[in-house]
Amino acid sequence: MHVLIVEDDATARVHLTKALTDAGYRVDAAGDGIEGLHRASSTAFDVVIVDRMLPKLDGLALIQSLRATGRKTPVLILSALGEVDDRITGLRAGGDDYLTKPYHLAELLARIDALARRGDASTSESVAKSRLADLELDRMTRRVTRGGRKIELTAREFQLLDYLMQHSGQVVTRTMLLEGVWDYHFDPQTNVIDVHISRLRQAIDKGFDKALLHTVRGAGYSLREEE
Amino acid sequence: MSGKRRFAGVLATSRFRIAIVYSLVFSLGAALLLSIVYLAVSNVVDSGTDNLIEAEVQGLREQYRVLSRDDFIELIEQRSQAQDVRGAVYLLVDPQSRPVAGNVPEWPSGAEPSGKWLEFVVSVPFGDETREHEMRARHFVLPGGYRMLVGHDVQERHDVKRLMLQGLIIAVLLTLLLGLSGGFWMGRRILAQAGAVSAVTQQIMRGDLSQRLPVQNSDDEFDALAREINGMLEKIEQLTLGMRTVLDSAAHDLRTPLNRLQSRAEAGMAIVPPASPAHQVLEQVSIEVDRMRGTLDALLRIALAETGTVARESVELSELVTSMAELYAPVCEERGIALDAQIAAGAVVRGSRQLLAQALANLLDNALKFTPRGGHIGMHLQAAAQGPQVSIADDGPGIPQHLREVVLGRRVRLDEARNLPGSGLGLSLVAAVTKLHGARLSLDDAQPGLKVTLQFPA
Repeated sequence: MHVLIVEDDATARVHLTKALTDAGYRVDAAGDGIEGLHRASSTAFDVVIVDRMLPKLDGLALIQSLRATGRKTPVLILSALGEVDDRITGLRAGGDDYLTKPYHLAELLARIDALARRGDASTSESVAKSRLADLELDRMTRRVTRGGRKIELTAREFQLLDYLMQHSGQVVTRTMLLEGVWDYHFDPQTNVIDVHISRLRQAIDKGFDKALLHTVRGAGYSLREEE
Repeated sequence: MSGKRRFAGVLATSRFRIAIVYSLVFSLGAALLLSIVYLAVSNVVDSGTDNLIEAEVQGLREQYRVLSRDDFIELIEQRSQAQDVRGAVYLLVDPQSRPVAGNVPEWPSGAEPSGKWLEFVVSVPFGDETREHEMRARHFVLPGGYRMLVGHDVQERHDVKRLMLQGLIIAVLLTLLLGLSGGFWMGRRILAQAGAVSAVTQQIMRGDLSQRLPVQNSDDEFDALAREINGMLEKIEQLTLGMRTVLDSAAHDLRTPLNRLQSRAEAGMAIVPPASPAHQVLEQVSIEVDRMRGTLDALLRIALAETGTVARESVELSELVTSMAELYAPVCEERGIALDAQIAAGAVVRGSRQLLAQALANLLDNALKFTPRGGHIGMHLQAAAQGPQVSIADDGPGIPQHLREVVLGRRVRLDEARNLPGSGLGLSLVAAVTKLHGARLSLDDAQPGLKVTLQFPA
């Protein structure tokens, strides 16, 4: 996986480069908008991370120019503004995800992973059926079965499982779930997501030998089959 | 807008009511003035004729005394013939009321000598036809039982008076009509201007600060006013955008070092052994960064809501409240708290879905924090005539009356409010978001507990 970081804050750039390299990514870095745009348009990256405010060429202008050349590379916007409508402007400019500073590395890694894999298999959303081990989810009939046994889920639990299935094998953070399933962009003071997950876990894992829904400490959750 | 409603709208404006009153007063004044003229003129005309007749009567009385009866009759006949053109009428009757001389065929009926003056109608030849003319006459008794009638044609006089009266009525009606249509025109102009101001104001209240009032270039007071208001709006827009810029820079300048701090802490944690004291310190640093970030987010969102520069959309309030209740339902159940959600369908408000969701989450977080196991939380959405009303009630300790203003951030007494539900920025954000949506926020006693109500405008 090849990632480009466009960030003018040297400290953040150095740490981010190191953290992503440690996580197994091949990393290129640029310090301003012009250089960033030049690199992003000349190389096929899997994900581009763009700071919202950049010298020489603003982050949003960079994304717009990149999209104008026809490049569909997933772009994650890092913003030090982070306000309600700034997210909307960022996504409208062609960004694919948006994260406010300061962020946790785990949050950033989970989002980069999701974006990079979306680049691979952008068809996964349109697939009518998803399968993980003996768990099956049918989007047409809204039916979920595990080992052939029907599992009763509420509409929201179905959405939650659907989201996790689409990101199966990846780490999904609480914020990603709140954004992806509920379309809310704030941090609740109460552990609302954890309780929803534990209910879903009751429904799909209880009574089966192998657990599929795992908690990833310090990051979030992951739906995967463990060897 | 239908014509009928527009007309009703014009009638309802105070300026137009004033215009109506003015036009009525002017019409009344005109009527009074013309009436005086009419009375004066008709008085002059009447008394002129009457004086003429009086003089004639006087003259005839003297002639009767001097002349023999036959000569007097002769005189009357002469005058009757001669004066006919000028419209004078004479009649002499004997004691049996038989006409002796004169140009009136018979003693007018109903003209018994009760009053001094008589009014009657005589047919007068007029070209080929005859016309009924009104006459005014005096009558008197001559020595020997003869009675004399001396009068004058007053048809013309009456015609003039009638014409004047008609003219007067038409003039008054015209004044009234002119006054009303002038008032109506003025009312429409004012209403159009007021309508433009209110439309623009509403759009500005919705957050579109670029709106300006239309200027007609007619150099009147309306235009001068519109220009002044536009100048004021320009100033407000500059100030608000300036605020927004300050907010953005503040956000940037605080988030960037926090981000570095977080990156460094995480980089450090990657190097040191997981259970070491150094790792624990770095973990603490990371937790503090999270806390500061939380406070910063809340402060920035409050400030953003206060500037009113948030993009607004149509928000399905019923869907939002339902989804929030559904988001919090499992956590309530887990804590042994009954969440009672009663949500009316179809409520829609204009505003920011994200900020509203955050405000509701803050209220639910608060309610959860202070409701004991076995307690209740009520979440209600009512679609009232005055607008949708959202309320969240808990049966926790509540907030004493005198501290409710404090927690809303309207009065600052930190020491007292520190340990109350809603201390910190949670309720301040709710208050700012409520204000942004033009809603009213109230805290009440849920007996026991706290009931927070957001009353949205219709």
